[in-house]
Amino acid sequence: MPTLRDRLATNEKVAGWVFVLPVLIGIGVFLIVPIGMALWMSFTDWNGLSPPGDAQNVGLDNYRDLLSEPGVPRLDFAMSIRNNLYYVLGVVPAQTAIAFVLAVVVNQKFLRGKAFFRTAYYFPSITSSIAISIVFLFLFQRSGAINQTISALMPGDDFRLNWLDNAEGVLHNVLGAVGVDSAPGFLADNDIMGLSLWQWLSGPSVTMFAIMMLATWTTIGTMMLIFLAGLQNIPADVEEASRVDGATALQRFRLVTIPMMKQPMFFVLTIGLIGTWQVFDQIFVISSGGPQKTTLTPAYLIYREGFQNFSMGRATAIAFLLFVLIMVLTLVQRRILRPDRD
Amino acid sequence: MPRSTTTHPTRLAALLTAAAMFAAACGGSNFDDNEGNDGAATGAENGDAPTDDADGVSLTLMGFSSGTAEDDALNAIIESYSEQSSNTARFNPVPEYDTALQAALAGGSPPDVIYVDSNRLPDLVEAGALAPADGQVENEEDFYESLRGAFTYDGTFWCPPKDFSTLALVYNVDMLDEAGVEPPTDWAELAEAAEALTDGDRAGLVLGAEYPRWGAFMFQAGGSVTDDEFTEMTIDSDENREAFNFLAQLHADGYATTATELDAGWPGEAFGQERAAMTIEGNWIVGALQNDFPDVNWAVAELPVGPAGPGTFVFTVCYAVPAASENQEAAWDLVNYLVSQEALLEFTEQFPVMPGRESLAGDWTDAHPDLGAFLAGADYARPFQFIPGFAGVLDTLNDGIQGIAAGNREADEVLQQVGEAGSPVLGQ
Repeated sequence: MPTLRDRLATNEKVAGWVFVLPVLIGIGVFLIVPIGMALWMSFTDWNGLSPPGDAQNVGLDNYRDLLSEPGVPRLDFAMSIRNNLYYVLGVVPAQTAIAFVLAVVVNQKFLRGKAFFRTAYYFPSITSSIAISIVFLFLFQRSGAINQTISALMPGDDFRLNWLDNAEGVLHNVLGAVGVDSAPGFLADNDIMGLSLWQWLSGPSVTMFAIMMLATWTTIGTMMLIFLAGLQNIPADVEEASRVDGATALQRFRLVTIPMMKQPMFFVLTIGLIGTWQVFDQIFVISSGGPQKTTLTPAYLIYREGFQNFSMGRATAIAFLLFVLIMVLTLVQRRILRPDRD
Repeated sequence: MPRSTTTHPTRLAALLTAAAMFAAACGGSNFDDNEGNDGAATGAENGDAPTDDADGVSLTLMGFSSGTAEDDALNAIIESYSEQSSNTARFNPVPEYDTALQAALAGGSPPDVIYVDSNRLPDLVEAGALAPADGQVENEEDFYESLRGAFTYDGTFWCPPKDFSTLALVYNVDMLDEAGVEPPTDWAELAEAAEALTDGDRAGLVLGAEYPRWGAFMFQAGGSVTDDEFTEMTIDSDENREAFNFLAQLHADGYATTATELDAGWPGEAFGQERAAMTIEGNWIVGALQNDFPDVNWAVAELPVGPAGPGTFVFTVCYAVPAASENQEAAWDLVNYLVSQEALLEFTEQFPVMPGRESLAGDWTDAHPDLGAFLAGADYARPFQFIPGFAGVLDTLNDGIQGIAAGNREADEVLQQVGEAGSPVLGQ
């Protein structure tokens, strides 16, 4: 004989399910089922043209082509990983550091025109990335504002770098400047996934470097906002206490502010890491993966293979490899930077 | 980048699969309706007479926009079709055409007539997406052989060309006069002219660093990427080496350059801005120059002849009927109207693209007396076409060509690399 209490509990359970059902259906239809379908597709040779049911099962062939079989697909995938790795290594620290500094600056109590600066810094984040990319296309032209500014700062030197069509690796250029302009034997002879170690160590190409600057500039606003919220969450009494204890401004920043910002820092690094591994729109507008595949990224490769080269099976396989990569890196980062719970 | 979350790969795949599933579900119900039409289609021998049934069908032609004026002209032709036929037709230009077509075909209920670019044809045929045109198109032999070849795959003719373009040498008349140079007719003259016309920031020749431009020089030298049957890579040859080394030298000397080096989005723009004296482009450059750079005094010549003779590319789009179209008979009726002499002439007379029918060559030349060089190329032009799965190899080739143009790759090494990349794709 169920008690009144039991009946109420059962009713609550039913009501609970009814209330979450619409969301569950939505997530199921638009997320779980499609991800399952995509996973299945990554084991087929679906070309994206015929009905998906006609696709042949090819087992692990797509993954083998990308990871172990020497050939164009593996080389392209390796290049996209290399390019994006340098992109992440450049953009994530830069955007985090600059956003943190900006947040500290606009958080100063004595700063005038605070609202103006906050709006100005946040502005790029709310503008369409396509529009910004097109503006950067003009800025980085050979006769564009960037080159003209550099020329003006270096009198007598007409600086005419073709930023957006230059495949030379930045690290290779730096090494070239100190006299290392060809690969030492062991770097040229050994390769990972078909790409020689020397190629892996190229650094981002000049074009990728320009896109990295663009990306940093557009994202710092969002990151700044997160840091700003964190800064304003620091209780005033903590700061006062440290002041009473006789800490200098620098000590307060190093020993109070930074430790208190560990959680926002973790959050910013995580979304930065995930976002930078998915860079697509700037590449699509500015370089389409060129010059010489140096701005090819996994996300752009997915688009190219799936929609231009009619290899939807391979495209979904890349998507899942990218998913695994992001997952692993995020977990590693979490292990290193786990925010303190108390 | 948080803003790029819209392109989250799993979400992209998710969207795609959701769309495909939905469309597949819709497509299933249409399948039954096809049965009746199949019998009717085989009955129509020449497909000319529109069915006199009171209830004609409504047809959709899906394509991409070629500019407002072109779209209006095509709409007018389609309107006149609807008036004289019991069927009604509608032109639906979509942005991001390839993606839209892919989704429509994968969904199983595609539009009745679609545009197919010759370089996409093999993929679509292999996917079983198209209904063959064999016997459905009136006066098929009238189309240029090179165009019929471009739309013949696996020995079957799939679709009649809507119009076509070839590559030719476009030059700035004033600059050539000023330098006292005649339009070049062979490689040696091209090199001399490019040198004479290069002046400070102005390049002699602006040339796209990609196979659809450099390939013409391969043809002129007697080379090619593969054999005609796509069974063997033939790219690593002395002929191709000669072509690439010739172009590499022009770039190294600074007489030839790419559009981005001249702050332009494509060679036509650099040419229009008078930052280059010559370029190699197709018929599409005519509209761009007329609209954006009306003051430039330009003319067209056939591409310079190489050591092995003339060579150029033909770029063309056809009207194809998808295999899954519900109204095959009516669709071919519309296609035949669109590629009839009257309709082709009406359209191409107003625009610089050329009609695919050889019998219209005279009329077109009369309408465009100064563009004859483009049409002359039709006799020896080759299509830009490979087999499914070859796109990755082409990317590698384009990548190498960019490197040669930029001066950081060697022709030898590029040709060898592309040869090795292509062999497994051709099944060697």
